[in-house]
Amino acid sequence: MVVWLLVGASSASAQEKSGVKPGFTLTPGSAHIVLIRPSIQVGAQSTAGMFEPNADWTAQARDALGAALRTAERRLGNDVTDYVEPVGADAARLAEYQALFDTVAASVIEYQFFVGNRLPTKKRKDQFAWSLGPEVATLPGLAGADYALFVSTEDHFGSTGRKVLQIFAALARVPVTAGVHRGFAGLVDLRTGDLVWLNADWQMGGDVRDAAGAEKRVRQLLAGFPGKPAAAP
Amino acid sequence: MRRLIAAALIVSTATAASDPVLPPYVPAYQPTDVDERGAWMIADEEERRLRDAPEVIRDPALNAFVRDVLCRTVGADRCAAIRLYIVRIPAFNATTYPNGMMTVWTGALLRLHSEAELGAMLGHEFGHFELRHTVASFRHRRSGNALLAWASILGGGFALQVATIGGFYRFDRAQEKAADLLGLRYLAASSYPASAAADIWVRAMAETDASAIGRYRKPDQRYTAGFFATHPTDLTRATYLRAAAAAIGVHGADEAARYRAAVAPWLPRLLADQIKRNDFGGSEYLLAQLAADGWTTPLLFARGELYRERGNPRDLVSAAGFYRDAIGRGDAPPEAYRGLGLALLRGNQAEPGKAALRDYLRRKPDAGDAPLISTLIAS
Amino acid sequence: MTLRRFPSIALAAAALALAAPVHAANTLIPAGQRIAVAGSVLTVQPDAEWNRLGVRPGRYAERWTRDGDQLDALTFYGGIADGKTLFREVNRKERPLPRVAATMLVTDIPILLENSYRVARGIAAMTIERVEPARFAGSDGVHFTYSYIRLDESLHRRGEAFGAIIRGRLYLITYEAPALYYYERSAPTARRVVDSARV
Repeated sequence: MVVWLLVGASSASAQEKSGVKPGFTLTPGSAHIVLIRPSIQVGAQSTAGMFEPNADWTAQARDALGAALRTAERRLGNDVTDYVEPVGADAARLAEYQALFDTVAASVIEYQFFVGNRLPTKKRKDQFAWSLGPEVATLPGLAGADYALFVSTEDHFGSTGRKVLQIFAALARVPVTAGVHRGFAGLVDLRTGDLVWLNADWQMGGDVRDAAGAEKRVRQLLAGFPGKPAAAP
Repeated sequence: MRRLIAAALIVSTATAASDPVLPPYVPAYQPTDVDERGAWMIADEEERRLRDAPEVIRDPALNAFVRDVLCRTVGADRCAAIRLYIVRIPAFNATTYPNGMMTVWTGALLRLHSEAELGAMLGHEFGHFELRHTVASFRHRRSGNALLAWASILGGGFALQVATIGGFYRFDRAQEKAADLLGLRYLAASSYPASAAADIWVRAMAETDASAIGRYRKPDQRYTAGFFATHPTDLTRATYLRAAAAAIGVHGADEAARYRAAVAPWLPRLLADQIKRNDFGGSEYLLAQLAADGWTTPLLFARGELYRERGNPRDLVSAAGFYRDAIGRGDAPPEAYRGLGLALLRGNQAEPGKAALRDYLRRKPDAGDAPLISTLIAS
Repeated sequence: MTLRRFPSIALAAAALALAAPVHAANTLIPAGQRIAVAGSVLTVQPDAEWNRLGVRPGRYAERWTRDGDQLDALTFYGGIADGKTLFREVNRKERPLPRVAATMLVTDIPILLENSYRVARGIAAMTIERVEPARFAGSDGVHFTYSYIRLDESLHRRGEAFGAIIRGRLYLITYEAPALYYYERSAPTARRVVDSARV
């Protein structure tokens, strides 16, 4: 948790937020996309930055984001369906792939989007080479699908005490963020496992606990989604 | 209501502890407020993870034994609410989650000496569960951590980030004491003697001191709790638990022999995990405690491994001696010959060392490290 | 929840992450050139491009990666002398790390790595799998494989290492990655770096 906060604090400035694999295009109406069950966690951040999970908020966010995503699916210009979750051993495999997606997304932010810590091999113009590996397609229920859409959000709402601390900390030149609102959305090509599009940010907008905020968050998460008709909001 | 029980327990120590009638137990409790539901959500997630986690020991016999001691301590109706997981972590700890999940760490199994002591530990943990302690701690820690965060801004440095983790399930001092004393009442109502609880803390203090001495430091066990300390000191605990147990009086049997027999199949693995902690003094102390009734083969072998790993020239001589003692008892594992051979080789006794390694390979020709050991013999 | 106070392993792990500056520059390691690593006499010649992380895990260590150290990490330990540790000690008083000894045998190398990980990173679920003799950097050494899960993470990780004691000093290269996809993907390239090692 702390590492998230620390990196979030230091990399908030000067960074890109999305990447597309060179040469990738998605013609509207051409692909079947499966939306993997979004990973959603919501809680409060105490003065000390401790994450305090909040089940009510998480449930509210799951409903609100779920509704916003369903609305958004219709605007993405392709056939998007919700993933039917596996049980037992396959559920563990799915969880491992979700963890891998989060790790890859964090690595993209840290080592490609964040200029200050870029890897030289990731610096080159027009390159975006990241993958979950071709075996991701062997997850049950993905047969016949062209792409998998992964979505992760984690929100820690800063308490009043945390916000007051932030103001004093700024005076003392100590970086303190009030609240964490990180979100990743990524499209994975199921033939190769390659990440063809990723949108990831440590500081996102939209209060995921209500309908309007969730809609804003989903709009930000899916900003720049390839193949979306230009006219869509 | 529950908060009141907790408060009452803190105020009246020995008298409350000696009351043989346990407070009424409410099964199938559900979380009520927002903090509590958050804590349950995380606990449920953790339990889902633990169900398939590789570090959980699933040996049915060991699990049945630990559960049986829990049920004997707190009674059948209470123990039915608990799911127990034995987790392979070589530190002295057990944890309780508000949803009824309880973990016992293998480091605790290595350090406890009887069913009564295990019952005392499990009773203490169940006390936290019964008193619904997590939620209160959640609120307490919020203010404690806020203080730390402010301190770090004013003083600068990295303490701020460090203060933000460490889990939110830690109990505060008053809660620990309340759980201690409720645990004692379970013992009083069980077939185990209540004196077991204090014994645990006396040995815990001695082990901490032994670790410090082993690291060439003065034993700096603080016998008064610091400002930020969440737990009563071990000395305070041993003292009030001893007084409360005296008020209850002597009863029951501690069942040390049954405990040793139940843990025996796992003892070599628990010892191996302990030795990987790089804590020579603490490990020596534990081995000496376990060997109170004589040095058995697994204890001698573990001591050989401990000395060989530290690897000072004199340690290698001692290690070879312990391995030889283990071998002399007639039931040593093949690895005792391996340890003897490696200790001798490192101590520049090439020929006897190689001979012992050949003995090892004769006894375990399909050992995973056989090819590597062969190169040591050949060189 | 805790029965007694004990040094928080999570805290130690976080401190480990915090000990190093975030902003040190990463540099490109080109393919086909022989290069000295970890400030030591250990040299390697990679056949593909790697990135050297500006943040070093320890005074006698250096880390390379292709996709970020969370996804693949090739770590060099260059000639660690008697009495030194593999990486930075976070809490020397409470959690001292095991030390290299000049008299170490090859069989002691996997144990040193495992115990250092357990103490420094609080990794409880670590298993050394296969241990076998191997030539490394022109000497007789050891090759071993292992698996582990980091604290507070559900990703299964695999690793393998080659090491040898050369003139009383420990030389070691480890390669680690998530078991899913990444391990197999970069292992052949990593092994070729190891094969090229010379002292």
